[in-house]
Amino acid sequence: MRVVIAEDLALLRDGMRRLLEDNEFEVVAAVEDADGLVHAVRRERPDVAIVDIRLPPGFRDEGLRAALELRRTAPDTAVLVVSQYVEHAYAAELLAEAGGGGVGYLLKDRVIDVGDFVDAVRRVGEGGTALDPEVVSQLLGRRGGSPLDVLTPREREVLALMAEGRSNAAVARALVLTVGAVEKHIASIFQKLRLAPSDSDHRRVLAVLAYLQES
Amino acid sequence: MLLPLALVLAVHGWVEAVAEWRGLRREQGLLVHAGISVAVVLFLVCIWAVTSRGYFWPEWPAFAAAVVLGVRAVAEYALRGTRLARRVGELELTRAGAVDAQEAELRRIERDLHDGAQARLVALGMSLGLAEQRMADDLAGAQRLVAEAREGVGEALRELRDLARGIHPPVLADRGLVAAIATLADRSALPVEVDAQLDRRVPPAVETAAYFVAAESLANAAKHAGATRVTIAVRRSGDVLAVEIADDGRGGADPSGGGLTGLRRRVEALDGTLAVTSPAGGPTVVRAELPCGS
Repeated sequence: MRVVIAEDLALLRDGMRRLLEDNEFEVVAAVEDADGLVHAVRRERPDVAIVDIRLPPGFRDEGLRAALELRRTAPDTAVLVVSQYVEHAYAAELLAEAGGGGVGYLLKDRVIDVGDFVDAVRRVGEGGTALDPEVVSQLLGRRGGSPLDVLTPREREVLALMAEGRSNAAVARALVLTVGAVEKHIASIFQKLRLAPSDSDHRRVLAVLAYLQES
Repeated sequence: MLLPLALVLAVHGWVEAVAEWRGLRREQGLLVHAGISVAVVLFLVCIWAVTSRGYFWPEWPAFAAAVVLGVRAVAEYALRGTRLARRVGELELTRAGAVDAQEAELRRIERDLHDGAQARLVALGMSLGLAEQRMADDLAGAQRLVAEAREGVGEALRELRDLARGIHPPVLADRGLVAAIATLADRSALPVEVDAQLDRRVPPAVETAAYFVAAESLANAAKHAGATRVTIAVRRSGDVLAVEIADDGRGGADPSGGGLTGLRRRVEALDGTLAVTSPAGGPTVVRAELPCGS
């Protein structure tokens, strides 16, 4: 899988390059600002671009804006936005541009769990979704007395992992369940929340997030 | 004799009205007054020249205008002195408050860094050092230590992120006050109703002060007031930004308590005002008004 990295801090840029190359990714370009990112993506047409949200010259949300632009102008390249902090409002903006999938939004901290991070990059590169657990918990935990109270604790765990964009198999692995059991929980969640069942993982994420944002 | 006096008073009154209407500063008002007085006197001299050329009657209105102008100038300077003295007093007080608030804030940050991230990094270094020693003869033990170290890194990062948010939330700089308050409401354990509308960004210092008034009041509502719901309203009328946080808790907040005093100092440093009403039994309403002149 071919990757472009946009990160202004050399230390993190080189670290991420090493981490990805050790895990059989091909890092075709590593740039330090948003303009460099847009050029590199046009030139290299990578499978996925990993973009720091805060880039020069303004060090605000240039990375996010560039990522949104890339989704429109280069839809074949998936984007994974990484940041020192996560805000679910930004996640909503990214998902709104996602169309057919291929977006992710993760805390930079997640790189310390190498296996999980590499999974997320791969998932996004293959057109899936990766949403940081903190975004999901912001959405799940923000209201007392929400309609989610109808779910069992186990179903809430499954819902949270599903909202992160994980596949049934990955949810099963994380919770030490069989895939069959996970499927049963998911069917029950969709029924209790009156959501239309959906086959693609990404569409499922969108349905769940739309539900969480409204509630 | 009465005519010139009436004329001079009319000029004076007109100048005052114009100065009020155009929002002129005092010194400018005085200059306009002098200019118009001179023009009127010259006009009268012209009339005298083309008519009788007898007795030089314009000397009387000229004299009266000079007296009125002189009295006004003296009064202006005396008044300005007391106004300036009062303003200096205010500024001294609010500046001392702002310096104290900043001091306390820096001490809090230093303590949080010292007890939090710094301590974690020390522990981390120890775990890694031990792991290095064990690598040769106890691989499983070394692995356990490395895993522990990795968890420690995660904790340190989380603490640093919370600390950074407490100093200046990134979303406030990126997206402004309305978005930052919406985020605050989302993170709160209490249901929060936000009614915030601003047609454009206000100066950064005002945004930050307004944000921290909302954040601190919201935290108080959850921690001390036992509230079940909170409303946050943000409005701009003219050159004043008003932030009001109301809860349905038990009231009895102490306006001289640490948190509220810090907020008051922050607000007063920007020439704003902070009003807290919190009768026993509730509800508590905190309202900050901040000048945000363009």
